[in-house]
Amino acid sequence: MELKEIVMEQLRTVYDPELGINVVDLGLIYDLRVNDGIVSIVMTLTTPGCPLHDSIVGGVKRALTHLKGIKDVDVQITWNPPWTPARMSEGALKQLGFL
Amino acid sequence: MFPSTQRTYETNIRLPLSFILFGVVAFVASEAILLFSGTSLVQGAFRIPAVWGAIHLAVLGWALMVAMGAMYQLVPVVFLTPIWNETLGFVQFFITTLGVLALSISFLLEMKFVFFAGLLLTLGFVLFFLQMVMTLKNQPIKNMMTLFVSTALFCLLLTVFLGMALSFHFFSGSEIADHLLMLKTHLLFGLTGWFTLLIIGFSYKMVPMFSLAHGFSMTLARYVYTIYVGGLAITFFSFLTNHSTLFTGGMGLLFLGFSLFSYHITTILRKRVKKKLDRPFLFALFAIAIALCLHAIAFLFAVVGNTASFGVMIYGYLFGWIILSIIGYLYKIVPFLWWTHRYSKKIGKENVPTLKQMINEKWIVFSFGLFLVSLIGVILALVISNLPLFYIAQSGMIAFSLLLAGTIISVLWK
Repeated sequence: MELKEIVMEQLRTVYDPELGINVVDLGLIYDLRVNDGIVSIVMTLTTPGCPLHDSIVGGVKRALTHLKGIKDVDVQITWNPPWTPARMSEGALKQLGFL
Repeated sequence: MFPSTQRTYETNIRLPLSFILFGVVAFVASEAILLFSGTSLVQGAFRIPAVWGAIHLAVLGWALMVAMGAMYQLVPVVFLTPIWNETLGFVQFFITTLGVLALSISFLLEMKFVFFAGLLLTLGFVLFFLQMVMTLKNQPIKNMMTLFVSTALFCLLLTVFLGMALSFHFFSGSEIADHLLMLKTHLLFGLTGWFTLLIIGFSYKMVPMFSLAHGFSMTLARYVYTIYVGGLAITFFSFLTNHSTLFTGGMGLLFLGFSLFSYHITTILRKRVKKKLDRPFLFALFAIAIALCLHAIAFLFAVVGNTASFGVMIYGYLFGWIILSIIGYLYKIVPFLWWTHRYSKKIGKENVPTLKQMINEKWIVFSFGLFLVSLIGVILALVISNLPLFYIAQSGMIAFSLLLAGTIISVLWK
């Protein structure tokens, strides 16, 4: 498995505590790059000013920093484009009773 | 490719929690005092010092303190701007707490001290007003929610000054202006101006946030604001001119504005992704339905000229709308605050509970049932002047307040 895939898999352990769904299935990860052990993530949250901002961003960093081959993790939050439910996985939509 | 931001707006949780915990204790105390005022209440004697003491403890000590605590947490979330000065927040908490206690005790023991207690309380409110104005001033882009909350704050300030003038009447024995006019305006701006506009404003953020609603229109909010604030202004002028048709018009506009708000909320909920909503949030939504009914009844009473029932209406409005909304959102806010304190740094490292797991939903459902049955019982007892029913229902309300306190405190052990 490539390091990028390992990182993405690890991000599935980071949950939004309000919804109980991980950040990958919620579609919060917009961009993920791994170069020379440095992970760069551009992600969003379900609403601007989300009160769980620090918790989720910190959780993403903590989940990755201990991985073998990872030297540093940079997480950038963006509101553009804004998150929409269309980014959610089928499993996540089912969990919320939408499907 | 993606414009990014690293700004965060978290408030020190000790600040909102201090307000909330004091509020919960004040709620239990106010309900207990109301029980002992049963004889007067069922005879329709609301304007007696013991009832004022209990009501001010419930409105200021409980509803207002919790609302202020919630604002310290929600304003940064809703308006994307940090609290202006957290230290001032703690100073304001200390002064306001002393003021609320002094005011409630003065009502119960010596009316002349109400004025001095009111001065202390006014200082606390002015500091809160300053804090919020300075915080909102820093908001980068103003929106409809800013307008609702700013107007609510303005109404709070008017309510406080009117309350001070009323307490001066008791202190000096002379009237600055017509006492009844000031009392009615104090109630109007306090309940519908401050609390309702505040809850409406925050609902526009909380409802989409808790239901995960996206792609809805906010256009209706402008009309809700214009019509509701118009209703407030016309009702105020009806008090000034003692004009019953104007009063009916004001009540009609308030009903229309609130109906539009209720409809707007249903349109937002139709766009939600989260189909199964959390119970506490459902209670806050239920409170909107209660308030809609009460606005309709108030309008009908105004049409037929029944102003004698407004005392019971105000009680229903306070408990069924304002306090129930606060309870609903409180059951969401407290687990969040404690979760942030206990688990925020553990997410990503180990399994952490979800916010839903922080609070016992079964107890919440039971407590909601108890609250509703007790509320209906108290209102019925007041309407038919039945003292035994009042004692039973009010005891239920005390049991509810203890259950609420227990549920909130149990979160702090998670």
